[in-house]
Amino acid sequence: MSRGAIANRWLLLGAWIFALAALGFVVQRSLVVTSDLRAFMPPPRNTDQKLLLDQIGEGPASRLLLLEIAAKQESFEHFAELSRGLAQALRGDPHFTRVLNGEVDLTALDPALLPYRYLLSPTLDAQPLDADFLRDELHQRVEDLASPAAGMLKPWLARDPTLEMLKLAQRWTPAKAPQMRDGVWVAPDGGALLLVETAAPAFDPAAQGAAIDALRAKFDALADSKQAHLEISGPGYFSVLVNANTRAEAEWLSAIGTLAFAVLLLLAYRHPGVLLSAALPIASGALAGIAATVFVFGPIHGITLAFGFTLLGVAQEYPLRLLSHRRAGVSAQESLAGVWSLLRLAIASACIAYLAFFASGVTGLQQLAVFTIAGLIVAGFVTRALLPAVLPERFTDVADSAWLEKLRITLDAAPRLRVLPWLLLVLACAAIGFAPTPLWQNDLAALTPVPPQLLQREGELRAALGAPDVRYLLLLDAADADGVLALSEKISPRVEKWIADKLVDDVELPSRWLPSLGTQTARQAKLPDRVTLQAALDHASQDSEFQPDLFVPFLDDVEAARKLPPLTPKTFGASLLGARLNAMLAERDGRGLGLATLSGVHDADALAKAVAQLGDNVRLLDLKGASESLVADYRARIGIALLVALALLAVAVALAFRDLRRAWHVIAPMSLATLLALAMLRLGGVSLSLFHLVALTLAAGLGLHYALFFERRVDDPAEARRTLHATLVCVVSAVFVFGLLATSSVPVLRAIGLTVALGVAFHFCLSTIMARNSQHDR
Amino acid sequence: MPADTVYAEVRFVHMLRRPILLRGELHYGGAGQLGKRVDAPYQETTTIAGADVRVQREGKNERTFSLERAPELGALLSGFSALLGGDAQALNRDFSVEATRRGESWQLKLTPRSAALVKQLSTMIVDGRGNEPSCFTLREADGDSSTMLLGSLAQAKFGDPLTRESVEKLCVGPTP
Repeated sequence: MSRGAIANRWLLLGAWIFALAALGFVVQRSLVVTSDLRAFMPPPRNTDQKLLLDQIGEGPASRLLLLEIAAKQESFEHFAELSRGLAQALRGDPHFTRVLNGEVDLTALDPALLPYRYLLSPTLDAQPLDADFLRDELHQRVEDLASPAAGMLKPWLARDPTLEMLKLAQRWTPAKAPQMRDGVWVAPDGGALLLVETAAPAFDPAAQGAAIDALRAKFDALADSKQAHLEISGPGYFSVLVNANTRAEAEWLSAIGTLAFAVLLLLAYRHPGVLLSAALPIASGALAGIAATVFVFGPIHGITLAFGFTLLGVAQEYPLRLLSHRRAGVSAQESLAGVWSLLRLAIASACIAYLAFFASGVTGLQQLAVFTIAGLIVAGFVTRALLPAVLPERFTDVADSAWLEKLRITLDAAPRLRVLPWLLLVLACAAIGFAPTPLWQNDLAALTPVPPQLLQREGELRAALGAPDVRYLLLLDAADADGVLALSEKISPRVEKWIADKLVDDVELPSRWLPSLGTQTARQAKLPDRVTLQAALDHASQDSEFQPDLFVPFLDDVEAARKLPPLTPKTFGASLLGARLNAMLAERDGRGLGLATLSGVHDADALAKAVAQLGDNVRLLDLKGASESLVADYRARIGIALLVALALLAVAVALAFRDLRRAWHVIAPMSLATLLALAMLRLGGVSLSLFHLVALTLAAGLGLHYALFFERRVDDPAEARRTLHATLVCVVSAVFVFGLLATSSVPVLRAIGLTVALGVAFHFCLSTIMARNSQHDR
Repeated sequence: MPADTVYAEVRFVHMLRRPILLRGELHYGGAGQLGKRVDAPYQETTTIAGADVRVQREGKNERTFSLERAPELGALLSGFSALLGGDAQALNRDFSVEATRRGESWQLKLTPRSAALVKQLSTMIVDGRGNEPSCFTLREADGDSSTMLLGSLAQAKFGDPLTRESVEKLCVGPTP
């Protein structure tokens, strides 16, 4: 090669790398990665599924984080200070909508809403504000003033002699609250307990991660925090933890995989330059995939990225085919030209197949389709147009290896077992049909499991805190929000009975926070006018010792309460406490929907029966049931997408060959190998999930290459050796890299690794048997 | 050193026209343990268990809150622990102490060192004779005050009207 050609090669290589870096820079700047799992779920079809998608992340129960502050040394006693300090710091933090630590917070109600206490508190339902009632209350207040509680009550006494604020504060704390010590909640083992509600949905690990970081920072900033340990639990925390663990393990395994792949390439091609040559097309494809997805969709989902890189593994074959097929005396371009038509067919058919993902109607899968198609096309294009021009001049013709010729002869001489594929087909179908475990894994959480000891701990904390159950919700349906509140009041006595009967520990009804307009108006009507109240108060305080005129603020508030417009969900929702109520009131199709959370469901069946007696407007929603129906629905869509993909692939190959018999020799081993991989998984007791299906798709894409190249008719034994070499390098690297993933402790990585490794092995074996037959048939 | 003693407590609260007079029994059960029983004019039992205060009033639900929120009771507890349990160091840690002596009688004027506490409790005065405290007077930041007279002083006749001066005079004892 001339000096100028060498200079050109370096120039082109430099330009290519620079272009990649520039594209990488641009993409990275506009890249927004989202992590809300719901992008990977199908559009909901019924009300329960719609609710599920809202509740799965945004429901109040799933947004709760359960905290315990535990001592590092036994002598530590300042839990209460830490608990109060943390609660105070978090109450001002926008990441959190509610912080509970057991402190009775008399300032919980907006100061502007204070007169509303007479409309919110149930006192007036049973009791008019008359002289008898006031006399009794004032007596108790005198005793309170002489008791150790005096310091707490004094600031409120003149304004609120009947302690309505205290009654409301107690009404608004969970009914089955933990033990108190030193004014805060404590666990049986002695640590302080807190309950915080995040603003972010539970299944958005990135947003949850930010909230948890803020939580830890606030805790570490407290004095004395060094001597204690903050334990966090709850669905949001788990999603962060599991994400981090999965990512860490995936990174570690792919680092080893990449290293092994590099060693394999060096052994196979004996030139360090091949590493760069192998990396450039796939890097170009990946960047193009991200850029295209960002261009079409804007924010890109984290799972799209992960799956996209996995599926792009097919593109790794392109440079390997070029490297293996180089031969002496012929330029790289020319040697590639011999196999390009096959590669082009493989790329085109894979792209057509991935179009099926686009038709699935699920945003995440559509992103995946755009990513993969763009990636494969660009990787293929640069392999054809750029890579040959930058390849190092020196190379070893792989056809010279003696062992390869031996292997080729052995393979050629292998007996042609025409019955074998049919036998395998029957066996595979039988294995799939008769495997004892359920075919589908409906519980998506099982793939990224939370360690059982953490789940057990969460159960303990949830029980200790009386925190709501994440699985059940009581749904109240009414014409509007006020109708929901009225319905909630109506069923309240029945609900109290469930609690008394120990069906459930607590049900947090929306009317616990805000009574209906009707109830408020009724209470308002019972409030005496100023003159009457003054007279009653004078009468009541005759024999108590309170100073005259002390209760003017009380008279003012009652007078104000008489004239206030009743508190609407909207006004209450805008106040400090409103976030709670807002989470419990939703609107569906122009109607009001109330969501009451349940804590400690002891007998779900009996509870469901009890709920059924309340009529059609009240329903118990089992979120687990709804989520399983959603997953089943989803699976059906993906299944159809895959079948369509296979059909499209077959059509593409048949059209390209214009020969059904040849197409059959490519499609048959590929389909049978996919079925065999499936059968092996089922025999191993594996229930299938989305991840297995994506992995099978990747394996099928690789299998297509093997079948295409084995089916290729070459008369030159050296060229046949090169084809075999390329396929071997591809198979060994895929089996190794994905086999490594199969050893992972994270089920989702294991699912992908095992499926691809098995699939690739079957595709290779069947291609050697079934695709090669065609040559000898002729 | 456990000890039981009858008491009479007079509380002057600005919200009330007349002071409250309570009678009952105090039980000191050793460091950190203090019980206060009200026998008249109504019945109420207060116990301190660790950092919690429990108040049980006849016919009502028990009320529990943190000792931190009842600073007067906390001060009383440290006073008792110091004088009966001999833990003067603890007293010095929590309060600045000013002592005066006159023959057999003595008076301690205690000011809380914690800025948060001083916002509620400005001073505590302990009067005593020999090695026995006879009066605890708590002055709150809002001007209210209470005096607890112990042992033989609890039986003393209070003047009518009951004034702060007359009660405090009882505590200081007759001038020689």
